[in-house]
Amino acid sequence: MKNIFTIFKKEFYRVMSDKRLIFTTILLPGLAIFVMYSAMGGAINNSSDDMDSHKIIVYTENMPNEFRLYINQEIPENPEFHDVADSDMDTVVALLKEGDIDLIILFDEDFMTVLEDYESLNYTLPNVDVYFNPGERYSENSIGVFYGYLNSFFHNEATNPDRYGSAYDIATFNTNNNGLPFVVQYENKGIGQGLSMLLPMLIIMFLFSGAMSIGPDSIAGEKERGTIATLLVTPVKRSEIAIGKVMSLSLISLMSAISSFIGIILSLPKLLGGQLPTDVPVYSIYSINDYLMLLSIIFVTVLVIVGLISVISAYAKTIKEASTLILPFYFLSIMIGISTMFSGEGNTDLYVYLIPIYSSVNMIISILSFEVIGIHYLLTIVSSLVYVSIFIYVLNRLFQSETIMFSK
Amino acid sequence: MNTLEVKNITKTFKLSKKQRKLEKTDDKHKIAVNDLSFIAYPGEIFGLLGPNGAGKTTCLRAISTLIKPDEGDVLVGGSSVVNESFDVRGKIGFLTSELKLEDHFTPNYLFAYFGRLHGIEKDVIEERRQSLFSRFGIDKFQEVKVGDLSTGMKQKTSIAISLVHDPEFVIFDEPTNGLDVLTARSVTDYLLDLRNQGKTVILSTHILSVVEKLCDRVGIIINGRMKVCDKLDTVLAENNEEDLEELFFKLIQDEELRGEL
Ligand SMILES: Nc1ncnc2c1ncn2[C@@H]1O[C@H](COP(=O)(O)OP(=O)(O)O)[C@@H](O)[C@H]1O
Ligand SMILES: [Mg+2]
Repeated sequence: MKNIFTIFKKEFYRVMSDKRLIFTTILLPGLAIFVMYSAMGGAINNSSDDMDSHKIIVYTENMPNEFRLYINQEIPENPEFHDVADSDMDTVVALLKEGDIDLIILFDEDFMTVLEDYESLNYTLPNVDVYFNPGERYSENSIGVFYGYLNSFFHNEATNPDRYGSAYDIATFNTNNNGLPFVVQYENKGIGQGLSMLLPMLIIMFLFSGAMSIGPDSIAGEKERGTIATLLVTPVKRSEIAIGKVMSLSLISLMSAISSFIGIILSLPKLLGGQLPTDVPVYSIYSINDYLMLLSIIFVTVLVIVGLISVISAYAKTIKEASTLILPFYFLSIMIGISTMFSGEGNTDLYVYLIPIYSSVNMIISILSFEVIGIHYLLTIVSSLVYVSIFIYVLNRLFQSETIMFSK
Repeated sequence: MNTLEVKNITKTFKLSKKQRKLEKTDDKHKIAVNDLSFIAYPGEIFGLLGPNGAGKTTCLRAISTLIKPDEGDVLVGGSSVVNESFDVRGKIGFLTSELKLEDHFTPNYLFAYFGRLHGIEKDVIEERRQSLFSRFGIDKFQEVKVGDLSTGMKQKTSIAISLVHDPEFVIFDEPTNGLDVLTARSVTDYLLDLRNQGKTVILSTHILSVVEKLCDRVGIIINGRMKVCDKLDTVLAENNEEDLEELFFKLIQDEELRGEL
């Protein structure tokens, strides 16, 4: 145990005392994500400037008058409201499809009454159906604007503030991105989906590149330079050397993961700023639980990636060989990230959550789009830990092998 | 008793295609060490003398548990390298050009690091560091990264670190190779000191004068086999040779003739 810690400390110090490594493994991931996402957010916000001049056309049903007044007050360029009842629903949907109108918002008949009746025993949330056309820029923009106002009005303005402990834990929207029709029941899914498109790929990429920039050097490099042999003639078990190195690699990769995570968090306001009303705290679209789940998934994913990279680095004779061997796995995981980009939701097949990395990517998507299924989460965590154990076992075997560790 | 007994060790390497090309051979296997035996005693320096490729490094690696002999065993103060490699590693100080120090760290850091890995108390480490570093003149460079040290200073740092646990058995592979005369001298002087402290010292070399000046016993190894092995004077007397050089070349010639037959 003491030896593991001694080796861990030295490995950790190796990176921490090297400015270049601190920058590339720890600062860069967060910075890159922040810059990328802020730029993306900027682009979205720019296009929403031009949206301002567009008059939003909304067809409604049973819209509470209070909400209409609220909207008129909040949006200076008043949206054009029409009643669905004046034409028939099919026509209105066709108009939306064509992009002639931007939104259809159907409130429950007794929406306000139900809303205020939250203390009754068989209380069910009042429902609002929102239809929009994601293929139309104006429509897509309007939905963002209206979610925000729906959320902020019915949660803050129209309701008793004591009702929810933390109101925004409950405020979530539901969208699906295949066009029509499209039901909303107080869910924030649209925003989550936007985030979940790129994020899993970016997270996997940065986790990988963090571990890739130090793993091969720490193991294959030590073999190549002959410094590991110096360690092998001390009375230290080879498993202790292996575990000490993996622990340090994991911690550093985790730091790079947290850095990416902070980068994401910091860019949220820019990214979502245009979609939410100013009085809605950006971070509140996810709950503490969501953030914790995200972190735990990132954590086990780090371990899987570090395990894989360590095994490859122990097998390879040189840093170059290790990097070359890691590359296919790197691309494969990026492809996994890309392949799930447009799915918008986590895969529902159970076996998916047994495949390393693929499971993580799907879990991240599920978390970001508010659709976590407990068993999926559990399977991801458990299967990842099983893979990590296998990697550590193999790593230990490799470290025991004289031809692998000392082949000069 | 702190003797080191090498008992009939044999080590065969599989040769890869690349290695076969380099060695200019079609054999798929190379017997690097062939049924080799010798004993080294405390208070003596044992010299393993042989031309390049004779199997000296392979033999010393087997003693230091870096590789396992295919056959035979080595008893280091009674501990077997095959079954008790862990104990053996605690007793030996091993130095070979392939054991490198990491460029990024300073002599101070590495000395303390390896001291801890040997399970030595902090103040003992500090005491040994001061005496070894001043002995080898490392103290002025103790906070300089190994990567920035000269070859000689690197080698001396390696020696100091290999002795951090004050081992009873000191095994140095070609310790003066590539060193300037002054540095080489400080190393050989220290080896004599270690011998006088009663340590069991084994060194390998292909340089005859090193054996003549330092060693109490010599084993001449050619092609993985021990040709002669005894006290230096006895070896010369038994083979009716005046000096080591004559004997060495005679043995090599014999081997070459055998190879051609
Ligand atoms: N890991 C290895 N794989 C293949 N051949 C090896 C290996 N190590 C040593 N040899 C071969 O074994 C022989 C003895 O090598 P070595 O012990 O290094 O000799 P010396 O140290 O006396 O110069 C040489 O022919 C060398 O090429
Ligand atoms: Mg050699």
